Amino acid sequence: MITLERYPRGITLRDGARITLRPMVREDVNLLWDFFRRIPPEDKMYFREDITRKEVVERWAEHLEYDSVLPILSLEEGRVVGDATLHRNRNGWKQRVGTVRIQIAPDFRHRGLGTAMLREMRHLGEKAALHYLLAEAIEEQQAAIRAFEKMGFERAAFFRNFVNDQEGRLHNLVVLLYSMGDSGRGTLSFPP
Amino acid sequence: MTCTACGADLAFDSHRAKKGPDGKELCPYRGRAYPNLRAAHDLIYFGKWRKMDSTTTDIRRAYHQIGRHLKAIGEVLATKDLPAARRDLAKAVEAFQAGDPSGESPDTLRFMDHALSYAHMTIDDLLHEEGQPPHDPMEFSEWYDAAEVPFKEEW
Repeated sequence: MITLERYPRGITLRDGARITLRPMVREDVNLLWDFFRRIPPEDKMYFREDITRKEVVERWAEHLEYDSVLPILSLEEGRVVGDATLHRNRNGWKQRVGTVRIQIAPDFRHRGLGTAMLREMRHLGEKAALHYLLAEAIEEQQAAIRAFEKMGFERAAFFRNFVNDQEGRLHNLVVLLYSMGDSGRGTLSFPP
Repeated sequence: MTCTACGADLAFDSHRAKKGPDGKELCPYRGRAYPNLRAAHDLIYFGKWRKMDSTTTDIRRAYHQIGRHLKAIGEVLATKDLPAARRDLAKAVEAFQAGDPSGESPDTLRFMDHALSYAHMTIDDLLHEEGQPPHDPMEFSEWYDAAEVPFKEEW
C-alpha cells in the first residue's frame, strides 16, 4: 500500500505556474470531466473508454481504489490541468509491474508539467515496491516519448500498425519500460 | 572570479553583477534551493572540456570535477528517502566510472556527458521534492563563458 501523506503538495513549473498535486477524490467528477472535455479529439483515441461521457468519469469516481488505480491530479487554481495514473495488479504475475498513463491539458503542454508528473509516478512506483513501470505511446507522440526516455524509461518493444485511431488509421505503438532494480535502495559507492 | 558563496568560477567581468549592500557581488544562485549543487553542475556544464579546443588537461580536470560533484549529490541524498533519485545518481556514477579518461576510451566524453546529465536529473529530482522547478543551466549562462545554446524541449 502506498502512503499518500505527501499530498497535497505544491510544485512550481519553470514559467512560475503554481500547481497542486493530489490524488483524485470522488468529488472531482466535474473537474475531471471538464478536463477531459478540453482534450483535443486526436488525443481522445488513446483512452480505453469514451471519456466524453460524464457517466464514465462518475463510475471511475465511485469505484476509486488507489491500490489498483491511483490517479494523481494536477490542479491550477482549482482547475484540473493534468492527470497521471498508476495502474497496478494486486495479485498475479504482473503485480510488480505498474502502468503509467499521463494526460496534460493543451495549454499546459511543453511547460514541464508532464515531466513533473512522470517524476511523481516514478516516486510512487518506488514506494509501491514495483519492479517495472510500463508506458505506451503512439510513435507520433515524440515529445512524450523523449520525456519518458529522459526519465530513464527505455524502448522495450515496438509494434508496427498495432493500434487504430477513431478514423481507423493504424499507428505504431512504442512500449517503454522503467526498471527499478536495487540501485535505488542500496548503498552508492563513489571513487576515492 | 570565484564566487565566495558557492565556489563557482563565475565570469563576473563579462556583465553587470548584482551587488549586496556591502558592495560585494552576489552569488547568482543565492536564494535558490541547492545552490552548491547547481553551481557545481553549471561549472562543469559550461566548462572548457566540452569545447572543440579542449585539451586532455581540461578533460581530466572536468572528470575529477564530475566525481566530486557526484559525491556531493550523494551526501545530500544520503539524508533523504528518494529511491528514484538514488537510481539516477547510480546511473551517473556508472557512466562516470566507464568514462575514466586515463583509460583512453574513445567514448570518454560521451560517458562524462551522460554522468553529468544523470547528475542534473538527480538535482531536478531533489528540486521536485522541494516543489521547485527544474534547474536550467541556461538561466545562469551569462555568468559563464558559454557560447552554445543547446536545443531543449519540454513535455
